[in-house]
Amino acid sequence: MKAITLTINGKLVRATQGEYLLGVLRREKIDIPALCHHEAVEPYGGCRLCMIEVTKPEWDGWKNYVTSCLYPAADGLIIQTDSPQVIGIRKTILDLYLARCPEAKLVQDLAARYGVMKTSYQTVPEPNDCILCSICTRICDTMGFKAISTVNRGHGKEVAPPLDQPPDACVGCLACALNCPTNHIKWKDVGGTREIWGKKFELIRCEQSGHPTLTREFADYLIAHRNISADYFKINDDAHRKETSLGLGKIAQWSREEVK
Amino acid sequence: MIGRYIVTPHLCTGCRTCELACSFTHSINGKPGRSRIYPLAAGYKDLYVPVVCFQCEDPACVKSCLVNAITMNDETGAYEISPEKCVRCMACVAACPFGCSLFDKPHNLVIKCDLCGGDPVCAHFCPTKALEFKLFEEELKEVV
Repeated sequence: MKAITLTINGKLVRATQGEYLLGVLRREKIDIPALCHHEAVEPYGGCRLCMIEVTKPEWDGWKNYVTSCLYPAADGLIIQTDSPQVIGIRKTILDLYLARCPEAKLVQDLAARYGVMKTSYQTVPEPNDCILCSICTRICDTMGFKAISTVNRGHGKEVAPPLDQPPDACVGCLACALNCPTNHIKWKDVGGTREIWGKKFELIRCEQSGHPTLTREFADYLIAHRNISADYFKINDDAHRKETSLGLGKIAQWSREEVK
Repeated sequence: MIGRYIVTPHLCTGCRTCELACSFTHSINGKPGRSRIYPLAAGYKDLYVPVVCFQCEDPACVKSCLVNAITMNDETGAYEISPEKCVRCMACVAACPFGCSLFDKPHNLVIKCDLCGGDPVCAHFCPTKALEFKLFEEELKEVV
């Protein structure tokens, strides 16, 4: 853990050797747009929006345009986050995003902030809201299920379960859908059942209140792989709190009688 | 752990001031958060027990978190959920055997007691001193 010094927009900033620049910039409260960044997973460099300009005194005026989420901090780096070239790159990327996902609110808002109101490219024939940031697939991989992945290449690239069949590995935790920045992944929770990626799940119901909690598959995974007692999943959190207060109440009542 | 809650249930009146203190302490942009502490009726007449995270030694929430979003803060000894890392899979909410990992729906956050950075506000607000927070150093002095 070696402390180093960087120059960001003319200001000297301390950082740790090797940490990624996006974290340093966010810590310095510099607004860097990023669509594929999620703290829970490794950086991906997919959205290309966190582009910055880096240079060093010994580079003889040469500059490099890099994605800050994947560029490690090094001593003496000189960083520009809002030079005309950087803004130009971001505008082009947002222009392309608008051609791909014209209806995604997140993309529209971000593009409007950079003054791109309408795409100058041809819109794709059947647009959807998926920006291919891969947050869903990376979270699924990190959690250890690996149920979905990106399939095909080029303009046919999309996120899907293997062979477009309901994935065996999916446990219905909804992490993919809840972390989708554009809410493209659809799921349904109706009357104690859940449907996502074409697979149907039965939700565990609290034995006391009947409220649904996790899916049976997810609970079984946690019991088997994370060494958690199966009894913990029988009731929901409200009932657990009630049980705790009753349990502690017994001890308290006993001590109260002792005091008397 | 550098300190712990000391609960004296027969002093607790169930006034829920701790709940309010917690809620307002954890407000975001002026919107009160869900309380991490629950003073609940304990099954006997006039008996209430505040239920709050025990900061267990081998916590089910940490074991159940598949993205390692719950880590121990070495300074305060509290297990804290990183809101940026959390993927809202609700595993810890379902797994905690004391029900002290909660989901704050309005803020879309999974929450648990973080000991307010080492000095829990709820303990300061308890009017009857049923809920106290003591550092181990202070306790040691009292014993010695």
